[in-house]
Amino acid sequence: MIEFVNGTLALFGDPTAVMIFGFGLIGGMLFGAIPGVNMLTLGAVLLPFTINMAPNHAVMLFSVIYCAGVFGGAITAILFNIPGAPENAPTCFDGYPMTVQGKSGKAIGAAVSCSAIGGVASAVVMMAATPLIAGWAVRAFGPQEIFALIFFGLAVSASVGAETLWKGWLSVFAGLLIATIGTDPVGGVPRFNGGSVMGFEFSSYYLSAGIHFIPMILGFFAVSEVFVQAMSIAEGKRKRPKASLEFPSLVEFWSVRFTMLRSMVLGFFAGILPGIGATLAAFLGYSQAVRWSKTPERFGKGELAGVVASETANNSATGAAMIPLLALGLPGGALTAMIMGIFQIHGMEPGPLIFINSSDLVWVTFAAMFWANLCIVFLGWLQTKTVVHILNVPFRWLAPGILLLATIGAFALRNLTIDVWVMFLAGAIGFFLRRTGYSAAGIVLGLILGKLGESAFAKSMQLMDYDVFGFFSRPIAAFLLIAALLTVASSIWNEVRGRELQKALID
Amino acid sequence: MSSSDNRPDGQTLTVSIGPLFSTPVLEWLFWLMLAGMVYALTDNFDEPIAEYQFGASGWPRVLCAALAFGATAQLFYKLTRKRPGPEEPSGKSADQANEVAPPILSLRAKLQRAGVFATPFVYLYVMPEIGFYVATPFFILAILLLLEVRSIKALTSVTAVVYGLVLLIFTRFFYVALPVGRIESFYDLNNWIIAFVRTGM
Repeated sequence: MIEFVNGTLALFGDPTAVMIFGFGLIGGMLFGAIPGVNMLTLGAVLLPFTINMAPNHAVMLFSVIYCAGVFGGAITAILFNIPGAPENAPTCFDGYPMTVQGKSGKAIGAAVSCSAIGGVASAVVMMAATPLIAGWAVRAFGPQEIFALIFFGLAVSASVGAETLWKGWLSVFAGLLIATIGTDPVGGVPRFNGGSVMGFEFSSYYLSAGIHFIPMILGFFAVSEVFVQAMSIAEGKRKRPKASLEFPSLVEFWSVRFTMLRSMVLGFFAGILPGIGATLAAFLGYSQAVRWSKTPERFGKGELAGVVASETANNSATGAAMIPLLALGLPGGALTAMIMGIFQIHGMEPGPLIFINSSDLVWVTFAAMFWANLCIVFLGWLQTKTVVHILNVPFRWLAPGILLLATIGAFALRNLTIDVWVMFLAGAIGFFLRRTGYSAAGIVLGLILGKLGESAFAKSMQLMDYDVFGFFSRPIAAFLLIAALLTVASSIWNEVRGRELQKALID
Repeated sequence: MSSSDNRPDGQTLTVSIGPLFSTPVLEWLFWLMLAGMVYALTDNFDEPIAEYQFGASGWPRVLCAALAFGATAQLFYKLTRKRPGPEEPSGKSADQANEVAPPILSLRAKLQRAGVFATPFVYLYVMPEIGFYVATPFFILAILLLLEVRSIKALTSVTAVVYGLVLLIFTRFFYVALPVGRIESFYDLNNWIIAFVRTGM
């Protein structure tokens, strides 16, 4: 506690630190909200300038950008069905339908509050138990557990957004298959980027890098939304959503308390695991909210709990992601890898000794993350009062801007036109997916987790000498696999018995 | 065949989606063909990897099998579920009976729909040739026209504002190296626009 107070005093007692804190907060939110750029863009631009900064200022800046950036993407997800980052994709499922129903204020209000709550809770646990949790998580989670967790994540998320269980699984399999394009993760063998089929020769240098999930997300959500709205304009059926400034009431928050708590726990544990992070956290949080809800049929049609689940989980993952970085020197994602780079630039090595050698730096970072998450409430409230007015602009005027933002976002990723082709193709496919009951979310989830899952499976097989039952000799892996198998079995049982399954993101 | 999409705001979009998914059998055939084609493609990289006995093609092949299994399970489920009950002698479910008939679209509306889908691809096709900076204002105009914006004032002002903002954000503030075209005159024009926007930087 004393360390936290000292960290807070060090942060707010230093005008330079306060300026950097404010810059990181606003910059992270803005970059998180614009699809063409993201918090990684801001991080990459700022990284060289950190050489001349004090190490505690530099690490604090990136930590604040991380917290604010994860929240920032929720705004465009809710207002325009464009997730600013992959971890905001599940926010679209209910956030955008709420906007269509004229409840954008409530959706953004819920996103703001839950991001803050998730982030603050995560920061508190991070402060209390970093060395303990990091040591446990990294020792206990090997490739077997990571594969089992991914399998569990896919099992519980498969039916999200799909009309039936089968369509959900087919969507996930299609996503996993798309993820195999590029190179094999074990031996680096090129896959699906050249050869012949039925006498037809083809070769593509660009496919060697694989299909990136960002153009797919932009296509499935943003471009297909423009297509859908354009069709309804052509048919004369489109109604403009009303801008609303109404925040969720305390009663509404109370009604989603368990969703919030569940997403907090799920987000936290997903955040600790290297490479899993906020994206799976958000999907897991959302799918579990659907699973435990008494009214699952309302998800995907503008259910407040959907926004709450996704945004609480993804922000809970931010504090958790700092745990393996600070305690063990293991970055879990791109932004935490940049923070690792800052440590190295300044001649420091994150790890257990950092709590002894650079205690000031650690506590200023912890305090900054805590206060950044609290500030999200205030800044988010301001955003709610201002940004929702964009909805008063006719959609037909916004559509070219949305398409251009998506185009630039897809292109800027790797400077490849093929990414833009992929995005528009995904947009056209997404348009038909919405009408045939398949799940765009399932494809995206399969694509995001596919490579990681295959890599974890291959490593597990090598470690277990190709004995599949070896998974069951490790308690956590066994627990997750059994839970996943039970989930699949119960879903099939429900489907066969003709019960109405959760139907989210059809529209 | 048509499909109804009940939107959250109470609107019902009814869109004809063509014969591709008109029956569960065709849907099954689509997935089987996809899985079969992908499986055939795996032969191109079916090579062993040292210390990994499943090789590069093992994982994609399992996924192809899973796709085929999922599609077959879906077909089985749909066929068994679609059997007419005694109370439905015609074989139509209540949902099908209540389904709204798709609107008959005029040729203009059909062309408008086709245009909405085709325009982004045309834009993408010409962009590497004539450059992003030249193609974009025409793209914005085309989309606005397809979305039934007819006022000259709206067309010019929206194009100017959107194009201006894109130039300001992605060329002046955060330089994103967008395509400048392969045709010489367009290449020069694109570079002139970039130089103009970045004047003083």
